[in-house]
Amino acid sequence: MSAEVVIGAWVAVGLSLCMYSFLYKDNPFFKFGEHVFVGVSVGYLLTITYYQVMTNKLYIPMTQQGKRWLLVPAFLGLLLLARFIPSIAWLSRISFAFLLGISSGLAIPRQISSFILKQVEGTLKPLVTVGDGGVAWMTWAGLNALLVLIGVVSVLFYFFFSLEHTGTVRRIARVGIYFLMVSFGAAFGYTVMARMSLLIGRFDELMLYASASYGYATPVLLVAMIVGLWWWERGQERKT
Amino acid sequence: MLFWKRTFPLLLTLLLGITFTAQYYVPHPASESLLTEVSVWGQIISGFAILLGVGSLIRSHYVKIKRREAGWGYSGVMFLSMLIMLGAGFWSGGKTEGTSFGWLYSYVFVALQGTMFSLLAFFVASAAYRAFRARTPEATVLLVAAILVMWGRVPLGEHLISGIGSVTEWIMNVPNTAAQRGILIGVSLGGIATSIKIIFGIERSYLGKD
Amino acid sequence: MTDFVLRLLRLDRRVIFLLIAVATLLPLLYPVSLPIRVSPEVQRVYDYMEKLPAGSLMLLSMDFEPGGKPELYPMAVALLRHAFQKNIKVLGMTLWPAGAGIAEIAFTEVAREKGKEKGVDYVFLGYAPGDASAVISMGQDFHAAFPADYYGTKTADIPLLQKVRSLRDMQYVMSLSVGFPGIDTWYVYGKEKYGFELGGGCTAVSAPRFYPLLDTGQINGLLGGLRGAAEYEVLLGVKGKAMAGMAAQSATHFVIIFLIIVCNALYFLTGQARGRQR
Repeated sequence: MSAEVVIGAWVAVGLSLCMYSFLYKDNPFFKFGEHVFVGVSVGYLLTITYYQVMTNKLYIPMTQQGKRWLLVPAFLGLLLLARFIPSIAWLSRISFAFLLGISSGLAIPRQISSFILKQVEGTLKPLVTVGDGGVAWMTWAGLNALLVLIGVVSVLFYFFFSLEHTGTVRRIARVGIYFLMVSFGAAFGYTVMARMSLLIGRFDELMLYASASYGYATPVLLVAMIVGLWWWERGQERKT
Repeated sequence: MLFWKRTFPLLLTLLLGITFTAQYYVPHPASESLLTEVSVWGQIISGFAILLGVGSLIRSHYVKIKRREAGWGYSGVMFLSMLIMLGAGFWSGGKTEGTSFGWLYSYVFVALQGTMFSLLAFFVASAAYRAFRARTPEATVLLVAAILVMWGRVPLGEHLISGIGSVTEWIMNVPNTAAQRGILIGVSLGGIATSIKIIFGIERSYLGKD
Repeated sequence: MTDFVLRLLRLDRRVIFLLIAVATLLPLLYPVSLPIRVSPEVQRVYDYMEKLPAGSLMLLSMDFEPGGKPELYPMAVALLRHAFQKNIKVLGMTLWPAGAGIAEIAFTEVAREKGKEKGVDYVFLGYAPGDASAVISMGQDFHAAFPADYYGTKTADIPLLQKVRSLRDMQYVMSLSVGFPGIDTWYVYGKEKYGFELGGGCTAVSAPRFYPLLDTGQINGLLGGLRGAAEYEVLLGVKGKAMAGMAAQSATHFVIIFLIIVCNALYFLTGQARGRQR
């Protein structure tokens, strides 16, 4: 195992434990880890923006492909930064107007086609199928298609706030609520799944770094963190 | 001056919004070339937008240090980390494989962000214990659906009750699909309405204050 | 009795934290292997990849940051292994700036493992800013969207990209997404106009909202969360990180189910007790 990997493991474990110390309570170790995280994120984003955007998407096409007109979007991009100087902050509006105008224009027809027409089309499936064996009424697929249709219509009724929810509308909207509750329950189940996966991923790495080849980084630093928290807690008690 | 400050941006949004909505329905070579060029411009301007976000963050930490506000030392830690990452990034020419920049990315950035997100696992468990109660029929339906999905999506659950995986699949493919489709259609209609409001200058919060 | 139940209901959250930590740790220390059933949405992605002829072009957009690594990185590795085994040429990229590093690591590691050559068998294009603009730009003129790859090499000089003009040249696009921009962006601004086949991989938290797209065939398959990655590993016959994590996933799910049942039982007990007091 090379020295840089072992040192890396110790750094990763130390910083991970700083973050986990928040589970005990907010403390200086967590705050340190949190600010290191913000710092490296900013540093990484700036570097990536410089090399992947300014160099690859701007400098190379301008200097090697003769696309000098790309100075115009670069200028519009710079105008965005005018927001930092109060006297000329209004200049950034031109760039925002440009970005929002284009993105709104691009979004409208595509959203209609992708998320409204296609989804309506997907909801209207045949409930009865005609095949070689004759007419098939109420197959399992047909029943599911009917349930989806009822679900979509009732959920849309529930969201239709401009219509007063009384009588039949109220009853349909209530069916919609139950469909939503099943979906939110499923979403909660999937959220638990996602969060636990993240924990498994981190613990898996911490366990790897607990081995002898990494100098027992995890157990050693865990003990150090506990001692550190105890020391800090004692200091807090003395202050009060 | 008022024209440049308010009217011009609104006119520009109107013009570009209508042009690019119409562009979708007119796939003429000229309109396609316009789309090609403007999409590249959009990429470049968005790159500068990252600087805008990062700049705001840097400014808030700088102000904290300047005014010696509570916890200003941590802002110093933030600046130091940023400078180290930036230095390593430029020293490595933005390459990650086998460089100090890649080392910092793997052992500092990835470790910290991964751990930060994994903290949520503990809080979701705590929330499940404290808030997830069958107080009403609706809450009971939500709870039962959640338990069925959690049970049916792991191998142990399927091992204990064979066929529960199919029940989970049905929940996802039928009632969940119906509800999510309703939400998707509703949200899309809302998004389209907002886009129209932006184009016609009804929604103009992006202009900020005068 | 009521006091005890109320005390249990107000249990220190750190006890729950400890329970979750132990439930995660034990199965990782003492793994138990249980069969993993493959769901139809994962099977469809696998089958589509299987049918792609050697030399086909696949675009793998790793639209996630390190926060999504535990769920999406195993997916990326499994898909890359499958693609390289089938001699499918892969173009890699990301719509998330902080994801460039992790995507590059996945590409270089799997390419090294499978003996694939950069520029010939695969290309890593890096980060594309602008979300929708990036996808449209790639659909209109691929080389204008990516004048250079991640390493600064001009894309016009890369052998694999000589014949690539637009997203229409892709036989398959897979987006592994942690949020927006991601699968939706690729559908709305990409597939809808440029007509390629699109598959998706996502974190479990966002999986439920992609089922309507799956139902309409707007995406041809979906790998949802660590479980989705584990199912793909089962199909490939390679035990990876995702399969290894399934025992811990089972244990933590059952701890949460146990907590929900206990808290509800206690809640009803206290309710009844209050009723008796009245």
